[in-house]
Amino acid sequence: MNRMSRTVAVSLLSMALASLAVAGPGWAQAKTDLTVALSSFSAETLDPALQGHNVKYYLSLMFDYLVGTTPDGQPTQQGGLAAKWENSPDHKRWTFHLRKGVKFHNGDDVTSEDVKFSLQRAMGKRSTTGYAGPLRTLIQDIETPAADRVVIVTKEPTLIIPTYLSRSLSTEGMVLPKKYIEQNGDDVFARKPVGSGPYKFVEQVTGSHIKLAAVDSHWRIGTPKYKTVTFKLVPEETTRIALLRRGEVDVADVSRERVKELEKENFPVHFRKEEAILHMWWVLGPDGLPAPMKDKRVREAMNIAIDRAEIAQSIFAGRAEPAAIPMGLSWSFRDIGFKVTPDMVYPYDPARAKKLLAEAGVASGFPLDVYAFQLPGLPEGKAFAEAVTGYWEKIGIKTKLIPVDYPAFRKQWVDRKNPGSVGYYNIANRDWIGTYALLEKMAYTPSKLNDTVNDVEIDGMIAQVMRQTDKDKINALMRNIYTRMRSEHYGVPVVYLHSPYATSKRLGKWNPGSVMYDLFIDELASSK
Amino acid sequence: MEPGLGDVRPVHRRAGLEQVAAGLIRFVLSRLLQSLVALAILSVVVFVLARATGDPLSLILPMSATEEDYANARRYLGLDRPYVEQYLSFVGRAVTGDFGMSLRARKPVSELIGERLPNSLRLAVFAMGVSLAIAFPLGILAAVKKGTSLDRAAQVIAVLGQSLPTFWVAIVLVEFVAGRLQWLPAGGIDGFTSYILPGFTLGWFVVAGMMRLLRSAMLEVLDSEYVKLARVKGVVEHRVVWLHALKNALIPVVTFAGIYFAILVTTAIVVETVFAWPGLGRLAYEGISSRDFPVIQAVVLTTGAIVAVVNLGVDCLYAVIDPRIRYAR
Repeated sequence: MNRMSRTVAVSLLSMALASLAVAGPGWAQAKTDLTVALSSFSAETLDPALQGHNVKYYLSLMFDYLVGTTPDGQPTQQGGLAAKWENSPDHKRWTFHLRKGVKFHNGDDVTSEDVKFSLQRAMGKRSTTGYAGPLRTLIQDIETPAADRVVIVTKEPTLIIPTYLSRSLSTEGMVLPKKYIEQNGDDVFARKPVGSGPYKFVEQVTGSHIKLAAVDSHWRIGTPKYKTVTFKLVPEETTRIALLRRGEVDVADVSRERVKELEKENFPVHFRKEEAILHMWWVLGPDGLPAPMKDKRVREAMNIAIDRAEIAQSIFAGRAEPAAIPMGLSWSFRDIGFKVTPDMVYPYDPARAKKLLAEAGVASGFPLDVYAFQLPGLPEGKAFAEAVTGYWEKIGIKTKLIPVDYPAFRKQWVDRKNPGSVGYYNIANRDWIGTYALLEKMAYTPSKLNDTVNDVEIDGMIAQVMRQTDKDKINALMRNIYTRMRSEHYGVPVVYLHSPYATSKRLGKWNPGSVMYDLFIDELASSK
Repeated sequence: MEPGLGDVRPVHRRAGLEQVAAGLIRFVLSRLLQSLVALAILSVVVFVLARATGDPLSLILPMSATEEDYANARRYLGLDRPYVEQYLSFVGRAVTGDFGMSLRARKPVSELIGERLPNSLRLAVFAMGVSLAIAFPLGILAAVKKGTSLDRAAQVIAVLGQSLPTFWVAIVLVEFVAGRLQWLPAGGIDGFTSYILPGFTLGWFVVAGMMRLLRSAMLEVLDSEYVKLARVKGVVEHRVVWLHALKNALIPVVTFAGIYFAILVTTAIVVETVFAWPGLGRLAYEGISSRDFPVIQAVVLTTGAIVAVVNLGVDCLYAVIDPRIRYAR
C-alpha cells in the first residue's frame, strides 16, 4: 500500500471510529421529565384564541378552564376555575362562582375581570377558535358583580353556556390574564403566555418543541409528578418509535398499523376510542343535492355498496369500527340517550345496491368524482378513498379519483363548483353540544358555507335545539335529527377511528380520555 | 504554460494589482446587480404562485367557521386587500428584512427564518464536510488507481449514493442505527452526535456525484502534457497528484459543491422531516402545506439569496483557483 492509499484508508477508518465512539442516547433524561412526541403541532400556537382548539393537549396544561371536565367528557366542579354555577329561572343569566386564591404564573390573582376579558377576547374578531361565532350570537353581556363572581347574560334562553366554556369543547373557556395581556400586548402573550394551569411556559422552538415546567403545587392536580413536560414535534413515525425505543420519549402517537409490532415489544399502547368518525359527503350545488344523489335510493345504494368491516380491517388494521349514522358523533350518543339499533347498521349488499340504482333509473351507473387526500390523523386517507371507489365501481358507478390536498377539496365544497362530487373528513368526536355545533354548520341549510344537507325537517329541529331549555326535549330533538339523517342517508358514515398512543414501559396508567383535541397529560402528572 | 507549474506568470506582469482589484469589483458588482434583478423577478413569481395554491383560511379556521368568521379573518390578516397592494406592502417590508407575520404561527417570519436558517446551515456544513472527507480521497484514489478493485469499489459507492433514495437511507438509519442498535440519536438537535445520521444521509448523495466528477476531472488532468512534463522532470508522484493535478481538477468540483451546498441548505426537506430537524426545508414544507403566504415568500426569497451568494462565492473562488478566469470576463 503506498502513502496515498494509507492516507485514504486512515481517514475513512477514523471517520467510522468517530461515528461509533459517540454511540449512546443523546436525549437521556431524568425520570422527573415527561416527553411527548407528536406527528403534528397544527399551528403551534400558544394563544388559545388563535387556532388553540387544535392544540388543547398542551394549552390545557398551561391554562385553566372556567368549567372543568373529566377525561371522559363529563362536566365537573372539581376541574374548573368555577367551583359552582347556577342559572336564572329564565335560563338567560348564568352565574359562575370562582375558586378563591388561584393565581396566574406571574403572581396575579385570577378574578372575574379575567374571565370577562378572556371570553370577550375569544369572541373577538381576531379569534379563530372553534365556537367564537356561536358565542358571539348567543352572549349579550358579561357582568362582574364581584371579584369571584361572573354573570353571563344571553340573548335567548339556553342550557349550553357551561358546556361552551368547558374543557369538553374548544378554548373559549380558557381564562387568560387580563392585566398581563393589556400591559404587554397580544404578540408578547402569544410568544410568552401566562396562565394559571399546573404547568408554566418555558420555551418554544417552532418546528421542534414546546417545553413547560411544573408549578410547585396546583389546586387541580396537587404537586405535579413531572417537573417538566416537553412536547416534541417529530413528523416521521419511524423516528418517533426509535425515540420511544431509546427511552427518549414517554408518549408518542403511532399509526394503527404499527400497534401490533409495539405491543409485541411490550410497549403499552393506549387508544383514544372512536376519536373521529370518517365521514364522506356529497358537495351540494346551488339548488342542493344534484341528480342522481337527490334520489334517496342512490344515497342508500352508495352506503350499502361499502364493506365497512373489511375497510376497518384492511385499511385501518382492525383499529376502527363501522359507523352507521351520518355525522353521528358517538361521544354525544350517551348524552342524548341515542342508541344505534341493528336495523340502522348498514349491511354490505352490493346486489341490493345495484337494484336500488336500477330503481332510481341509473342502472348503468353514473360518473362520480371522488377527492382523495391525507389528513392529520388519517395517513390512510388515499388508500381509504381508493378502497371506497373500488366498492362503488363494483355496482357500476364510474368513479374518478382526484388526488388533491384538503384545502383544494374544501374550496370545491364551499364554492359548490363540482356538485355531487364526494370528499371526506375524519371529524373529531365530541359531546352533544359539539355535535350540535357541527350539525348547525354542516346539516343546516341557512349556514350556507359548509352545508351538506338540505332538509326542511332537519333545519326545523336544529333551529329548535338552541332555543330549548328543557334538556329532555333537546335530547329528543337530537335523537330525531340523527334518526332522520340515517333514514335519509345524508352522507356516507364509514368508520369510527381509534387513535393509538404508545408509551414508555415506565409510564404506568393513563387515560387519554374522550374529549376532543385533548390528551389529559395533566391527569398523568396528577399527584392527587 | 499551464498555471501551477512554474514561477513565471506573464499575465501578472501585464496587469497591476489595482487593475486586478478593479476587475474583481466590477465583476462582483455586476453579479450582485444580476442577483437583485433575479430576486425581484422571483418575488413576483412566488407572490403569484403562492396565492394560486389556495386559501389559507380553510386551514386556519375551524371546519365549522361561518362566512362572517372568514370575512373577519381575511380582514385581520390583510388578505382582503387588492393583490397589488399586498405585493407592494410585501416588497416594501422585505427590503428591510421584515417579511410580515406567519399566518399559521402568528410570529414574525423573519424570526422563524432566524430560528431555522442556522440549523440548516450547520447541517449543510456538516454534510458537506462529510462528503468532502469521503469524496476527495476516494475520487482521487479512483483516478490514480483506475481500473483496479479500489476504483470499482468507489464506483459502487457512487452508484449507491445516487440511486438509493434519501428518504429510504434516512429511515433505514433511524430504524437500525438509532432505534435498534441505539448507537446514535434518532432525531432532534442535541449536540454533535445528533448531526451524524442526518449529515451522513445528506452528504452521501453529494459524495457520489462529487467523487465521480473528481475522478473524471483528475483522469483528464493526469493525462495532460504538463503533468507528464512534471513526471519527466522527476516531481514525486504525490506532489504531482495533490499539488499540480488536483488544483486544476477542482474547477468543476467547486461548482458542484457550491450548487449542492445551496441545495443542502434550502431543500433538505426529507432529511429534516425524518430526523425531526427544525430547518429551512421543513419551514418551507410547513409554509406550503398550510398556504402560509408570508412564510413561502420569505423562504423562497431567502433561498434565492443564498443561491445567489453561493454562486458569487463560487465565481470568486474560480478566480483564486485559476487566475486566467478573472481576465476572461
